[in-house]
Amino acid sequence: MDLFLDYFEFWQDKFDSILAYTYEHLIISFVVIVLSVVVTVPLAIYMTKMKNEKIKNLIFNIANVFQTIPTIALLAIMIPILGIGFKPAVAALFLYALLPLLRNTYTGVKSIDPGVVEAAKGMGFSTFQRLFKVELPVALPYVMSGIRVTTVYIISWTTLAALIGAGGLGDLVLAGIGYNDQHMIFTGTILAIMIALLLDLLFGKFEKRFSKV
Amino acid sequence: MKKIVMASLLTVLLLVMAACGGNSSADGGEVFEFGAQKNTDPKVMAQIVKLLVEDQTAHEVNITEDMPASPQVMAAIDKEDFDFALLYSGEVYNNHFDEDQVEYTTNPDETLEQAQALFGEKYDMKWYDSAGFSNQYSIAIEDDFAEENNITTMSDLGEYAGDLTLGTDNSWIERANDGYEGYQEAYGYEFADARGMDVALMYEGIANNELDVVTAYTVDPQIIEYDLKVLEDDEKFFPPYDASLVARNEVIDEYPEVADIFDSIVGSVSTEEMTLMIREVDMNERSTAEVAKEYLQEKGLLQ
Repeated sequence: MDLFLDYFEFWQDKFDSILAYTYEHLIISFVVIVLSVVVTVPLAIYMTKMKNEKIKNLIFNIANVFQTIPTIALLAIMIPILGIGFKPAVAALFLYALLPLLRNTYTGVKSIDPGVVEAAKGMGFSTFQRLFKVELPVALPYVMSGIRVTTVYIISWTTLAALIGAGGLGDLVLAGIGYNDQHMIFTGTILAIMIALLLDLLFGKFEKRFSKV
Repeated sequence: MKKIVMASLLTVLLLVMAACGGNSSADGGEVFEFGAQKNTDPKVMAQIVKLLVEDQTAHEVNITEDMPASPQVMAAIDKEDFDFALLYSGEVYNNHFDEDQVEYTTNPDETLEQAQALFGEKYDMKWYDSAGFSNQYSIAIEDDFAEENNITTMSDLGEYAGDLTLGTDNSWIERANDGYEGYQEAYGYEFADARGMDVALMYEGIANNELDVVTAYTVDPQIIEYDLKVLEDDEKFFPPYDASLVARNEVIDEYPEVADIFDSIVGSVSTEEMTLMIREVDMNERSTAEVAKEYLQEKGLLQ
């Protein structure tokens, strides 16, 4: 009971700053998700049409390389170019999100039954008609599951933004570790989990609705 | 032939298992565990302890590096996973004890006494007197800027603070006693913007003019490297973080030869010496073992 009261008091005490950290976290994740989906999903779909295996491999390899750069190193490289705070955090997270989104979308669209595409061809659909009327609707569940997985990653990775002065829930977790405050660590973690679950739920609903059409 | 091979393999295996079993060193002594936080000064001190213990006794010291922070090191001492560590007196104000147990003061002696008594009892360990250096918060600005405007104390900075961006670690803004809020009360001014970040990136930030003021730690070699000026804490606001070695009572009671070594280290490493050693490790990328060995040899404590 005491534990609960203590924790309640912590919330009363820190409510404003917890709200600010959560808001920062949401904004950063949101911008990263939108940016990476807008850039990566069309690229992945285009890549499924690409005949040149070499270029395809090159793109995957570039995305792979970004994934392997240690966070601190990547952030340090960005300071002279993008400074400190929101911009370098978004840029770093965007680079990290490339690979999972690219892979998942690419594999999803690739796994469409070729028979469906052939049938559409047989019905005299043009390439664009085929893409928008047949392939994309069929691929949507795959694309969406790629976005869902990556979104959960991004929410958790956004805690890294705290390393470069962009705030977010990571700030709360790291402050708690440095200052020996379990309440801060717990709150930062649980809020990040809740955001991830909520967004996943939301995307799930969205996916269901659109795949029925 | 096959039998001989099998038999010799089995022997080797048994020997390996015997070597792994129990915590005994090659010379028949114990293997002690030193837990070091992720900053460089505990890592260097761990090497100093290791070199001295292995030179003067039959025991060995195994070092675990990069623990996130002091509370995690203490938790490991509590579980008897670590025997030794380097801890800081000011840690006593970090939410470990209730307010009626610990009295907040920035007096170094009183802070050390409280840490020794309270932590000593809580974790059944001996908290030695300071090893000689202190790793505490301070406010640093670029040397040029300080010269130009004749700023030497933290109070002097107040006049310019409204235009300056502060970079700090992730916890300073949230700290109760010695954090940003307390600083504003003590000095009566705030900065235009204050951002928490990774300490290494904080220095990158001031080097690239993205930040104007940083909360430097007194042993940070970047202070020398980037020509920063540490301002005098004229209101005595920041609590001391005098570094002390700690050892579990069980260990030093049973092994007086180890206790002697710990006694001999008290007061022997100055803040300047530690800063220079950290500089060798962090900036010149040398190993902590090499730097610690060189230091002990220069002092004539090691062959």
